[in-house]
Amino acid sequence: MFQYDFMQHAFIAGTLIAIMCGVIGVFIIARSLSFVAHTISHIGFAGAAFAAYAGIDPLVGLLAFTLAGSVGVGQMGVRMFRRDASISVILSLALGLGILFLSLGNIQGNYSRTLLFGSVVGIDLQDIWQIVAITLFVLIALCAGYRWLKFDSFDQVGAQAAGLPIRWISIGFLLLMAVATSVTIQIVGALLVFSLMTVPAAAARLYTQSIFGMILLSSLIAVLSVWFGLVSGYYTNAPVSFFIVAFDAVSYFLGIIYHRLMERRRAVA
Amino acid sequence: MLRRVQINDLQVSFNGEEILKDLSLDVSPGQMYAIIGPNGAGKSTLLKSILGLIHPQHGEIVLSCDQKKPVIGYVPQSRVIDDDMPICARDFISLGQVSSFFPWPSRREKRILHEMMIFTDTDRLAKKPVGKLSGGERQRVFLAQALVRHPDLLLLDESTANLDPDAQTRMMELVKKAVHEWGVTVLFICHDFQMVRAYADHILLMTRGYYKTGDVQSILDDQAMLKNVFQSSFDEGVTHHEGSASSGLSVSASSR
Repeated sequence: MFQYDFMQHAFIAGTLIAIMCGVIGVFIIARSLSFVAHTISHIGFAGAAFAAYAGIDPLVGLLAFTLAGSVGVGQMGVRMFRRDASISVILSLALGLGILFLSLGNIQGNYSRTLLFGSVVGIDLQDIWQIVAITLFVLIALCAGYRWLKFDSFDQVGAQAAGLPIRWISIGFLLLMAVATSVTIQIVGALLVFSLMTVPAAAARLYTQSIFGMILLSSLIAVLSVWFGLVSGYYTNAPVSFFIVAFDAVSYFLGIIYHRLMERRRAVA
Repeated sequence: MLRRVQINDLQVSFNGEEILKDLSLDVSPGQMYAIIGPNGAGKSTLLKSILGLIHPQHGEIVLSCDQKKPVIGYVPQSRVIDDDMPICARDFISLGQVSSFFPWPSRREKRILHEMMIFTDTDRLAKKPVGKLSGGERQRVFLAQALVRHPDLLLLDESTANLDPDAQTRMMELVKKAVHEWGVTVLFICHDFQMVRAYADHILLMTRGYYKTGDVQSILDDQAMLKNVFQSSFDEGVTHHEGSASSGLSVSASSR
């Protein structure tokens, strides 16, 4: 399997993105931004479709649309954006725009499928360098703002009272989320970004009570799911994304069982 | 170390309604000030103005401190904590340690955290999820988070309101201990006059537009004035008759 360049690239890119998603996912879950992340990934789909229509690098289109979308969310206020109606309107609009651009550009079905469901085995060396740079940028930014972000994500009242600039933290995080979403879409596609960015983190919080533990476990689940997906996809010829999602979902449901068992044990003690 | 808290002619309005009007207050360091008054008097607004969460239309709040910027700790009546978010008490308390840039805690920070957890008797709760703690335990965890930053000024916004008498006493004893050991200055909103008598050094009595400060005895022993303040506020809320606060009160418009 590793004698093929495309598999080596897939493993490197997938592992890096999984680590990044595992880390950022913990904060997405803590800030209740799962559906905002989902919406931003759809905005990214429209951006990638626009890039194909305009004949520019897909990553440029992805970044331009997701960053603009994040600024929009920041301006509207995250609280307002969390409302079901706002999410449905913007999500539908983004999907509609994506379809429009694909149609205007007369783009083939293969490309549309790649945008929606990803193509981890279609990554070349240049993509790897892009992914390395973006992943490092996101991880360094998260490290630099770790304490403020942690405080604001897990206890906003306390963070505000401590004088932290919570509005800027919120906007900064949305921008980072946009960058992370843009690069992840290239691997798992716009529809399944959700699986890597939120499910491992949602599963991790069922197993551990420490924030750092959640970050480690979430990254580990994400990395294992990508490896499992790549190996299973290679041997079965079925889509890699399916195996990634399936692994994450199983981790989550096992987490629920584990959590309930622990609760029962605590109640008995 | 905090040297002084001085509030001059503070004025705060929301949607044209005046909440605080020309409030002046001078707070000495290392003292416990109880803030009492009926609902709607602007007690929480005052604390939020000190925190910088509300910007007054007029007046100033001066916190004189030996350091560049004074550290303020805040413990509200309650916080919305997701019962399913399993952050352990230790991690929740350590959230308050934001002065360092590095993501990992230093040895000194670990030591301070440990000491503060012993001080607030939250060390045995260290691994328990905050969402699963009792009301009293949660408030002690919130207090520990506020104290772990070594605040110069501690603001308690009815932090003991939902607790049973034992938990209330336990919480206030901790606050008193913090005042004695570190010279923290405390402003606490409280509706329980027994608690005020037991722990406050001074009282700020607030009702709409009229404020009076004094020592505990002089304010709490003036039963007629207290009855007037709380009764007139009730009347005002129900009947909206004119000048109910000003006409019946024997409190001065400015603070000492």
